Amino acid sequence: MKPTTDEPTLPPTALLASLWQLRRFIGPHRRGLYIGITAFGIARIFEAMVPVLTAVSINRMVDGDFDVTYPVLGIIGAVLIRYCVVSFARFSVRRVALKVSYDLRQAFFNKLQQQGSEFFSQFSIGDMMTRAVADISLIQRLISMGTILLIIMVYATVVGFGFMLYYSPWLTLLLLPPMPLVFFYAQYSAKAMGEASAQVQDRLSDLGTHTQENLSGIRTIQAMVQEENEIARFASTNQAYADVFYEQGRINSAMSSWMPSLAAICSLTILGYGGSQVLDGTLAVGDFVAFFMFVNMVVQPFRVAGFIVNLFQRAGVASRRLFEVFDRPAEITDEPGDGAPVELAGSIDIRELSYSYPGATTKAIDNLSLGVAPGETIAIMGRVGSGKTTLLKQMVRLIDPPKNSVFIDGHPVADYPLTQLRTQVALVPQDPFLFAEPLKSNITYDDPARSLEKIWEAATSADLKDTISDFPDQLDTLIGERGVTLSGGQKQRATLARGLIRHAPILILDDCFSAVDTETEEHILGELKRLRQQQTTVLVSHRVSTARHADRIYVMDAGRIIESGRHEDLLANQGYYAELERVQREGGEEDDLERLRVNS
Amino acid sequence: MNTTQKKNPRDYAMFDADISGAVLNLKLLRRLLKWLVPYKASLALSTVLVLIASTLQVMLPIIISLVAIDHIIRGESSSDSPDFGLIDFNSNIADTLGIPELVAACLLYGAIQLAWAFCGHAHRMTLIGPVINGLRDLRLDLFRHLETRPSSFYDRVAVGRIMTRVTNDVEALYELLRGLGTLVGEFVPFFVALAVMLAIDVQLTLALLLALPILAMVTYLFRRKTRFLFRQTRQTLSNLNQSLQENLAGLQVVQLSDRQQHNLDRYTQINEKNRLFEHRLARVETLYGAFNESLAQIAIGLILYYGASQLMNITMTVGEVVLFTQFVTMLFHPIVVLGEQTNILFRAMASGERIFQALDWDEIIHEPSQPVALPSRLRGEVEFRNVRFAYDATMPVLDDVSFTIAPGEKLAIVGPTGSGKSTLIRLLGRFYDFDDEQIFLDGLDLNRIHSADLRRRVGVVLQDFHIFSGSIYDNIALGNPKVTLERAIEAATIVNAHDFISQLPEGYHTPLTERGQNLSQGQRQLLAFARVLAADPEILVLDEATANIDTETELLIQEAVERLTKGRTSIIIAHRLQTIQEADRVLVLEQGRVAEIGSHEELLAANGLYATLHSLQFQSDADSLPETSSAS
Repeated sequence: MKPTTDEPTLPPTALLASLWQLRRFIGPHRRGLYIGITAFGIARIFEAMVPVLTAVSINRMVDGDFDVTYPVLGIIGAVLIRYCVVSFARFSVRRVALKVSYDLRQAFFNKLQQQGSEFFSQFSIGDMMTRAVADISLIQRLISMGTILLIIMVYATVVGFGFMLYYSPWLTLLLLPPMPLVFFYAQYSAKAMGEASAQVQDRLSDLGTHTQENLSGIRTIQAMVQEENEIARFASTNQAYADVFYEQGRINSAMSSWMPSLAAICSLTILGYGGSQVLDGTLAVGDFVAFFMFVNMVVQPFRVAGFIVNLFQRAGVASRRLFEVFDRPAEITDEPGDGAPVELAGSIDIRELSYSYPGATTKAIDNLSLGVAPGETIAIMGRVGSGKTTLLKQMVRLIDPPKNSVFIDGHPVADYPLTQLRTQVALVPQDPFLFAEPLKSNITYDDPARSLEKIWEAATSADLKDTISDFPDQLDTLIGERGVTLSGGQKQRATLARGLIRHAPILILDDCFSAVDTETEEHILGELKRLRQQQTTVLVSHRVSTARHADRIYVMDAGRIIESGRHEDLLANQGYYAELERVQREGGEEDDLERLRVNS
Repeated sequence: MNTTQKKNPRDYAMFDADISGAVLNLKLLRRLLKWLVPYKASLALSTVLVLIASTLQVMLPIIISLVAIDHIIRGESSSDSPDFGLIDFNSNIADTLGIPELVAACLLYGAIQLAWAFCGHAHRMTLIGPVINGLRDLRLDLFRHLETRPSSFYDRVAVGRIMTRVTNDVEALYELLRGLGTLVGEFVPFFVALAVMLAIDVQLTLALLLALPILAMVTYLFRRKTRFLFRQTRQTLSNLNQSLQENLAGLQVVQLSDRQQHNLDRYTQINEKNRLFEHRLARVETLYGAFNESLAQIAIGLILYYGASQLMNITMTVGEVVLFTQFVTMLFHPIVVLGEQTNILFRAMASGERIFQALDWDEIIHEPSQPVALPSRLRGEVEFRNVRFAYDATMPVLDDVSFTIAPGEKLAIVGPTGSGKSTLIRLLGRFYDFDDEQIFLDGLDLNRIHSADLRRRVGVVLQDFHIFSGSIYDNIALGNPKVTLERAIEAATIVNAHDFISQLPEGYHTPLTERGQNLSQGQRQLLAFARVLAADPEILVLDEATANIDTETELLIQEAVERLTKGRTSIIIAHRLQTIQEADRVLVLEQGRVAEIGSHEELLAANGLYATLHSLQFQSDADSLPETSSAS
């Protein structure tokens, strides 16, 4: 994910509070963290043995003792032990990071599955993807890199300065002032580099967008002879990118020069003050050399200080964004009441239902009542936005209706276990969504174990048989980008098959024929009639031809029912329905034209 | 142009093939250097600077070891020390300024450190500049090349495939050149340090060099192992994201099908797989992580051991031993960096190949060697004479199509999908190469006119309408100086676009995004009309949009089309009855042949294909469809 320049930085207390929430996820794996912290400490002591024993060796040489076998063996031993311990320490901490990000992903996925329309009206899928991808990886990096670097920095400082104090307290104190300098410069340049790289990312994405849009419109560009203009325009986007890119290079390069130069103040201090101590005879030559090694040990972590701070800050923001999702209660709770039947007969009873979406000023459903007896087929019609889909969603608790307003078989919908409700009341939504999976998995989505015969049967009822037979892979045809792209009508029929295959006591079709031509629709409606003689069916449609055969037709407007009755009754009524019938009879439907031309 | 020569069939699949660079392709590198040639002065300067910076970098430890420890502290520097004359120089400073030698050494150290910082920075900047500029030029050349490829190319190659060459692949080349620069910055100090070490003690230096193959081997094995694991973790992670994305997009269906548990199980499986690979990657990485520094520290131990024995023989000084320990990192680091860079290098090779493949793609629309200049005003007569055309040799799309359109005549083209309607109008704009003497404009063979000249006279309104970045006015004028704001407003008014444009916040100066999200489908269509009317072409070609447009706008469009075509030779691929009825003649295409041509009434009376199409499209009663309609 690209870093954005407008990423908020949290004040320290909020940052800590935000990171503190992570204890829920880190807690179970804290043992690995403790082990890592301990091991890093041990490793650091052994690492310090290298300068110490180097000093010993050099001091011996200076004193004319040329047998350095033991110090050298000591160095090699310390290095080997340190290698093992430090590798183990790093691995322990990284393993914690992996486990935490695994758990975060699981929790995130699970949490989102429990959310509904209210949640997703606030957060887009893209936003959720960013959190799942970028934010979780930031937490992972915080643990695997941030924590490790922080531990290293603390130990290096303590152990390094400890030994230096032992060799020469005054020289050590003189080395302190440059440290904050290194620290703040590191922080400053990390910030500058972050900003520069965000700029580069932005300009790069401009470049991508520009290229993409230009090439998509290449035919118009060539038809209008705009090639030269477009090349000139691209040149300026290209130059803008080169400019920020150069600036980023400059900042990086300057830092590569100045960071070692700041650190060199320490070397200079050792050379001057330490050198004079050696001349005085108060510091041994070997210790003088060891000082250079220790200073390097201490300065090294300081150089990445800015990076660490940045990592913690970004992880703090990430953590806050993740917990915004985790702390959100599930939209639909599954707390079934007693006495609801296990098998549905199929009656629906809506009593004085009113509902408004959160934050909306007008009611989506306004004091609406209707009843459907088992085995009936009803149709609901009405303009876009009249509340049809909202009503249907409440029947299966995609939206929770107010208490005691939506009843199925005489029991409030909330009394049914969610699984039972959604298994026995099958809703086919308006948007024909198919997964990037084989066609058969899409049709028998609710129960992957169904037999092929049943799948073919449902496909046949949805008039999809011929389409499927035309595919080389038949039911195994992969849908989506990597497979076959279905037309709107084919998609709709596939989702219809997905509803039909369930043979649910109540079937609700939310405008499922809009992209299907009228002839096919007739056929499917006939199938519905044959298959669902004893079962309840609710149809939503814009077409009179769909609705006319229903036992009862309801016309909705602004969340209320404005007309209801049989086809003939409504025609006689001379209201909205009759008008719709007239328009559709005379005008035909505009989208019929296109389809007929394709077919002929 | 040669009329008989058949086009070479091009292998477009090649363009989509995966190119994975596995070898160091020197030819490719050499070709890439061509884009750096204009900046060779800066590059030469950079080379000088890196030599200076590297020497300065090596001098710093020499001041501590040879100058401070050996000369100042122990007073026992060996005469053949490779100290770059620093010892004498330091003594001179001390004498001249009258300060202790140690203070002089500090001054010298500080000065060299600063000089190194400056030279290093200058070296990098003189290197980055040419690289960035060279690749900017390359990218522009690539874009220019792509911008002028013909439609036949874009018919066959996905835009996404081409786009990544302009963006990602050029980026990868930058990484390549930057990587090479980094290697230079690492290896030059390496060789300078190596020279110094060899001058002090050949044996010890060679012994240390023996560690390099070990380091290189371990680094190579590590890179090979992690490359696989990296790919696996990336792959599983992308599967995870895909799974989540799809689950969210289809969440309603998931919930309605009560599939939450099942999907969570599947997600868990991928998540576990990802953790497994991440786990293995962590194990390998942590094992390698401390390897280099440990090897360097062991080398320090060995230097001390060997150094002590040399010291005893008085063939080395204490300072020289210390210098060796300080050089160890400089000796080992380049190998590690080389390991880091190899993956990038190989990836960049593949990117380079993809870029040059695109640059070498020489498919073009053939232009006449001596184009005929068009008169300032054309009459606007168009003749198709026995036009035969095929995109590839196997399937003729137009087969012996002949008809003439009189100046100012309005011709509607109808026919089933795939009958060749779009091809017909594309040929008129010379978007494809076709044989000579087939299509004539005012009696002039189309192939004798330069395509850009032709396209200025043939206004094409396509269905996939493209909005250019800029204001509404920019989009109408399209850089044509003759189109003043007044003329743009006039054009917009005629095609009914003025009303909605005036209602926009900044009127004609409202900026449009490229996809025109701030305009509705119908408004975009009207804007396209205004654009074409402002250019005032003699011939108008219109592919009527089929998208659903609300009734009100629909009426505005109908009216606009009528005004647009008035007195102008027009060819319209018509989808609406009214458009057809208003045309002077209707041409019915069927499988690339002219099935019928004549006025609406004549064709209806003839009771042929047009009559059938007409009854199907415009007089159908939804409940009584003819049996044949779904049979095909």
